[in-house]
Amino acid sequence: MMVMASPIREYILALGAAIVCTALCFALSPLVALTDLVMVYLVGTLAVALRGRRGPAVLSSFLGVLCFDFFFVPPRYTLHVESSEYLVTFLVMLAVALTISHLTLRVRTQAEAAKRSEVAAETERLRSSLLSAVSHELKTPLTAILGSADSLMRASAPGGGHWRELLENIREEAERLTRLVHNLVETTRLESGKARLRKEPYPIEDVVGTALERLEKSLAGRPVRTSLPETLPLVPLDPALMELVFVNLVDNAIRHAPGMTPIEISARALDAALEVSVTDRGPGLAPEHIGHVFEKFYRADPAGGGAGLGLAICKAVVEAHDGAIAARNRSEGGALFVLTLPRS
Amino acid sequence: MMERAKCILIVDDEKAIQRFLRASLEEAGFETVEASTGRAALDLSVVRRPDVVLLDLGLPDMDGLDVLKRLREWTSVPIIILSVRGEESDKIAGLDLGADDYLTKPFGVEELLARIRVVLRHVERAREDAEPVYRHEDLRIDLVARRIWLGKKEVRLSPLQYTLLSSLVRNAGRVVSQRQLLKEIWPDGGNTPEALRILVHQTRHRIERDPVRPRHLKTEPAVGYRLEAPEE
Repeated sequence: MMVMASPIREYILALGAAIVCTALCFALSPLVALTDLVMVYLVGTLAVALRGRRGPAVLSSFLGVLCFDFFFVPPRYTLHVESSEYLVTFLVMLAVALTISHLTLRVRTQAEAAKRSEVAAETERLRSSLLSAVSHELKTPLTAILGSADSLMRASAPGGGHWRELLENIREEAERLTRLVHNLVETTRLESGKARLRKEPYPIEDVVGTALERLEKSLAGRPVRTSLPETLPLVPLDPALMELVFVNLVDNAIRHAPGMTPIEISARALDAALEVSVTDRGPGLAPEHIGHVFEKFYRADPAGGGAGLGLAICKAVVEAHDGAIAARNRSEGGALFVLTLPRS
Repeated sequence: MMERAKCILIVDDEKAIQRFLRASLEEAGFETVEASTGRAALDLSVVRRPDVVLLDLGLPDMDGLDVLKRLREWTSVPIIILSVRGEESDKIAGLDLGADDYLTKPFGVEELLARIRVVLRHVERAREDAEPVYRHEDLRIDLVARRIWLGKKEVRLSPLQYTLLSSLVRNAGRVVSQRQLLKEIWPDGGNTPEALRILVHQTRHRIERDPVRPRHLKTEPAVGYRLEAPEE
């Protein structure tokens, strides 16, 4: 951020500079030629421009001309001018003063911008190292929890009837936490700028496939009907992020559509884009929610689980790919999410 | 005669992870040795001569990849890297340095044991003759006759598709990195990961009943591909 004094203080500074310059000129006037005093005022303007904004610098330019005229140009102590050649001096002085302030300000703005981008790069480095540390620190205990629960489930159950059920609970919730951590890490990665998108041409089938594989346990045998023709064009995408889109869309469908109702994923090629849709056979979206489902931390159904991050991430990722995503209800019932990704 | 229990060296500085790994591995009949530093891992690998090394890359005293490099200077013991998601470049570097496979934290016990079984089987396979026929569910690949069946139907593949599949069969159950596949399929170079993705895509449409949810040829995101381990 640029450090800025309040404007009034800067104008007072401009006034002060004029007074100091005038005092200096009084001291110098017996020693140097009259026109050399112009230089003193120009230095004053330069000093103001180095410190402040355009307004005070311009004020200082005019004040310089006025003081020079009033105090030193004969007849002194009036604004009258004896010889018309001084008018030219004034004009040149004013032009030079204004140019100085303009250039100084520009140099300063550029220097500040450079510093800002340096700070931004440093912040970015910090953010990404923090991110990987947090991700690592959270995932390590989750690995131990998940693995231990899994290990116990494989061993014969010494406890009573609820033993397995509770272990299953530990495992499922640890998995959910893992997904949440992953969502948070990826959102942060995304918010840190487009530059980190690693786009390469991919068959959409590959990405949908890895997403479904990750959700294998949550799907628990629920049918997923896919219609992704072999001849679909490849689209440039960041596979890790785009996988996250499908994980979140399908996870959303799993949570909102009951039991074993099927989830459908289909895609078709448009002229300049690929259109992919994910639909479920659940209750669909309530009209008052449709406009908000992609908002961060918005939860249509607070009891439905989820942190309200999933769909927000979908939107952020798709938009980072210069695509678009929309939600609506199918006429036959159920929610429909359509995303389009540009083919190049 | 009873076979000696296989010994697994666990290299991880997290107590909780060591405990869970020790419990699940001993339950499955393995013997375990633990190291929480790179230094200890190198020493123990000499003293105990483990049959498999599970290596976490984030160690307190040295870079896990350096441990891997030092091990590979003298031993071909199977090494499985343990790392979290998002550290794909480390996994690729590890595979390039000679690691046999990796596990992404968090992982389940089933997955852990499956990976260990696969690398152990590869060690045995290296001593004996390779199995000429690969079988997994409804897929059968005969490497001698160069013929492939999906259920009762014979599958026709292009030469490149067949090369891809045979490289994967040779490493069945293990991840094969993109770079390694590119080298094996196009030894003269000049091809891109994109060409490989298209080739995998086409091959899946021949050998998978549902290419979107492949049963045999799996994608390892950002790293490479894996053909599922054959049935015993």
